[in-house]
Amino acid sequence: MTLQLRARTNTKATLKRSRGNRKEQYLSWAFALPALTLLLIFLIIPFVLAISFSLTNQRLAPGPLPTSFVGLLNYTRLLADDTLRRALLNNSFFGIVVVPVETGLALFLALLLNQKIRGIAVFRTIYFSPVVTPLAVIAVVWSFLYNPSQGLINAFLQTISFGHLGPYTWLNDATLALPAIMFLSIWQGVGLYMIIYLAGLQNIPESLYEAARVDGAGRWQQLWHITLPQLRNTTFFVMIATTVQAFKLYTQVEVMTQGGPNNATTTVVWYMVNQSIRHLHVGYASAVAVVFFLIVLIRVIPILRYVVKAEKREV
Amino acid sequence: MALITRKVRASVPAHKKATHTPLLPSSRKYVRLALNYLLMSLLAIFFLFPIVFMIISSLKSNENQLLQDVTTVRALFPYGDLSLQNYDDAFERFPFGLYLFNSLVIVACIVTLGLLVNSLIAYALARMPFPGRKLILILIVVLVVIPFESVAVPLLLLVNQFPWFNGATTWINSYQVQIIPFIADAFSIFLFYQFFIDIPKDIEEAAFVDGASRLRIYWQLVVPLSRPVFITVAIWQFLTHIGDFLWPLMVTRGDTYRPLMVGMRIFFAQAPLHWGDIMAFASMITIFMLIVFLLFQRWFLRSVASAGITG
Amino acid sequence: MSRFYRTVSNKRQRERILPLLFVLSIIVSACGPTWFTTTSSTSRPITVELFFHSGQGAERAALNATLQAFNDSHPNIRVEAVQLPEGSYIDQVNVAAMSHSLPCLLDFDGPTLYNYAWSGYLIPLDKYVSSQMRADFLPSILQQGTYNHHLYSLGQYDSGLGFYANKQYLREARVRIPTINSPWMLSEFNDILARLKHVAGVQYPLDLNMYPPGGEWFTYGFSPFVESFGGDLINRSTYQSAMGVLNGPNAVAALTWFQNLFKQGYSNPWPASDTGFTFGHAALNWGGHWLYAGNYQALGDNLLVLPAPNLGKGAKTGMGSWNWGITSSCKTPDEAWQVLNFIMSPSEIARMTNANGAVPARKSVIARSQLYAPNGPLHVFALQLLGGMAEPRPITPAYPTITSAFSEAVVNIVAGFNVKKELDKAVQKIDQDLQDNQGYPTGQ
Repeated sequence: MTLQLRARTNTKATLKRSRGNRKEQYLSWAFALPALTLLLIFLIIPFVLAISFSLTNQRLAPGPLPTSFVGLLNYTRLLADDTLRRALLNNSFFGIVVVPVETGLALFLALLLNQKIRGIAVFRTIYFSPVVTPLAVIAVVWSFLYNPSQGLINAFLQTISFGHLGPYTWLNDATLALPAIMFLSIWQGVGLYMIIYLAGLQNIPESLYEAARVDGAGRWQQLWHITLPQLRNTTFFVMIATTVQAFKLYTQVEVMTQGGPNNATTTVVWYMVNQSIRHLHVGYASAVAVVFFLIVLIRVIPILRYVVKAEKREV
Repeated sequence: MALITRKVRASVPAHKKATHTPLLPSSRKYVRLALNYLLMSLLAIFFLFPIVFMIISSLKSNENQLLQDVTTVRALFPYGDLSLQNYDDAFERFPFGLYLFNSLVIVACIVTLGLLVNSLIAYALARMPFPGRKLILILIVVLVVIPFESVAVPLLLLVNQFPWFNGATTWINSYQVQIIPFIADAFSIFLFYQFFIDIPKDIEEAAFVDGASRLRIYWQLVVPLSRPVFITVAIWQFLTHIGDFLWPLMVTRGDTYRPLMVGMRIFFAQAPLHWGDIMAFASMITIFMLIVFLLFQRWFLRSVASAGITG
Repeated sequence: MSRFYRTVSNKRQRERILPLLFVLSIIVSACGPTWFTTTSSTSRPITVELFFHSGQGAERAALNATLQAFNDSHPNIRVEAVQLPEGSYIDQVNVAAMSHSLPCLLDFDGPTLYNYAWSGYLIPLDKYVSSQMRADFLPSILQQGTYNHHLYSLGQYDSGLGFYANKQYLREARVRIPTINSPWMLSEFNDILARLKHVAGVQYPLDLNMYPPGGEWFTYGFSPFVESFGGDLINRSTYQSAMGVLNGPNAVAALTWFQNLFKQGYSNPWPASDTGFTFGHAALNWGGHWLYAGNYQALGDNLLVLPAPNLGKGAKTGMGSWNWGITSSCKTPDEAWQVLNFIMSPSEIARMTNANGAVPARKSVIARSQLYAPNGPLHVFALQLLGGMAEPRPITPAYPTITSAFSEAVVNIVAGFNVKKELDKAVQKIDQDLQDNQGYPTGQ
């Protein structure tokens, strides 16, 4: 491993050089500038604007009544808003259920597909195919499938249970609507995470397993002591991705239930859009956006710590 | 039992792909194999049935029959009058080709420009001395959390006042308004960053010693090495933006710049409502996406494996 | 780490592809928009931009024909029509208003007009409309277009709402055919539904067009039931509150009866499509004039058009429909009026109403209409409008809130939730909106 040795002897020299190099600094700003400018104009400034809207009673389209500064009125109203509370609950419920289920299912499928038997590639493609279908298309097809009287799902359940199960009103039932959406979201997304786990599995050196087998470890022990620990980073990534997906839930609600029945499927992002575009309460919607951002940010702090740790690792 | 994970025998090559970890033990091999296939087939049905239902329904030109079949197993089988009539209707009522073209142009621009812009800043953050680097890194992670919907309205107000090269005084109803706001993406930057910090520094140091400029190192050394993460980010962005609906709805009027998803929703809201036509439209989109994926799948799968997400 | 060392050898290939891709993408993004942008013609003809809601196929075709005829006969004015999807029409108009990109001419559904008029987006049409022209229009059209003593819009047609019936099913159940002077009464109607349920071939006696759920139809189609029970959507003497009216005993009784229609299996709360009546699974269809063409095509001579029922306090039906106005941001209002005037001419109104089966807005056209003449199939709609049974939807800028609150309440009521609670919530939303906008003062 001669290259490794070279790395160690050059480190000191590298540090000396990069610390003093002005040209490098300017160049690094040049590299970062396009992205930073774009982010500033199209993400940061609008968000700051949104914060300022949240302190006013801004309507979507201005009318004869002038937009006035209302201070924290939107925020106090927010605290008393039942719909928003329900939306937060729905998002949390979605996250608590979908994140572990989708992660676990993705891992299970990846383990299943990590076999060298004939035709495995076909199955892999099939399991991945929902991922490439646009979510809006899936939402429309599934809303047809979930139809109470003319839906395939109810028909299926009734057939296999000889009439005992159902018919259920799925998307129109306050207790079943959100689970129905969760089910189809998992159906759509799990293929992608399965592929990521598959990649992770294939990166585990075979030598670890050989050594374990020599030491007499059985299948389950191999899984528990080798596979899972080696997949820790992958699992971390998958959980972050599914959590972010859970918080941004919008399309399925917009297409399938419009937040109903009775706010059973209202999510924060959907509520935000509905308030600003349909009800014209831009000021209030912006307050919701700010509060939601803060809530999610708190959950994201572990990621921050992880990134900072990686930083230290690199230096 | 001793923890085996850290003990790697020096005589065994460090990297051999572990592909053979069967889920079920190999005694009574054939029964296990059959059960394996059975399980996988059941799962395959589970993953396929909505898509099969959609495509089969799109071929049923008799709406009444389609609705009746839905509650029976015939929903998944071609039955009755089959024709491409629904596809004809869909094409006739809507400029599907134009919508598809718009979607592709928009997404292609977002992805290619995005790869360039996001990788540059990630590289700078990962490798170059940067005053305020930690702060910007933290900022990037924070930005990942902002959902687009919360800035949509203020962004609309902003872009309405931007001029463009062809003399227009607003960006509303154009291609650029659907492309430029999405080029810089915090999550892509994060993925690139994770990959770049893993690249062994000695490769670049060797080039430095040879007198190469930083830009050249990036362009001719780092980028080719990072093919996996480039492809992963490209595909992630593609999948994300092909389904964009809210923003295009807000900023386009008329058919000229309208992308596929908005066109689809318009189509679905039209009276008279024919599920056959809807299924035809949905099928066209899905089949197109599936073909694209099938063509690129091997590329994609190999890239994800080495893209550094996994460790 | 080995993955890095493997790929270095292919460096040359990558060297070639990526720069090319980069350059290509720059070209596309910089030049692309200019290649495809249609520069608006600044040559001789004056361009008038127009939004219209794209709903029924026949309506679209008729309007396109009208605009084509206009372009042909008026070489100095060019109309650029943009059709927006009906489902998100209001959303897109709101966004356009916000970004100051409203067109010159715009159509709105019925009472959503008032919010735009109040917000200052429309100009009054009083100076353009002659008294002769006024006299020819139906009073309901003028009433619909008037806000704060000014005329802001004109419509090509008004709406009709009633029962479409399958004659054969009615005969088999021995149902009395109602007339305008003798509509079905509440207990009679309940009895009819019970009898129709037992007719062979009928899955649900009454098709209420529940698909897709929510939206303006729920307010337009079902508030007449509330009014027929004696309730209303808002207190119309002051338009300042809905308390005690929308959640008063009459309204609650009306929507409880409505909820029971589904509980007793007389109507399908969540059909997969709107084909219940046309496919012969329903005996009655409570719907508007826009359904006539489709229903007639499916049932032919087996189709009857019947008046609204009297559920207690008189038979009530809906009125009002899409109407056109000129925006205040329009730089060429006179030319825009020429377009609007053409659209409102008797021949073009006739073209549209022949296509969509709506009640023509001008009396001269009604007289010549096949559908609405005294022995025409849709004459009952004209009679309902002229006979005062049609109740306009609330004439207030708060209408968008009223309709969304009521519609949402109905969706929840159909799903089985408590009627009084849902109506209380709706009232709370409406009153909050009125309060937020200080009661929508009309100032001058």
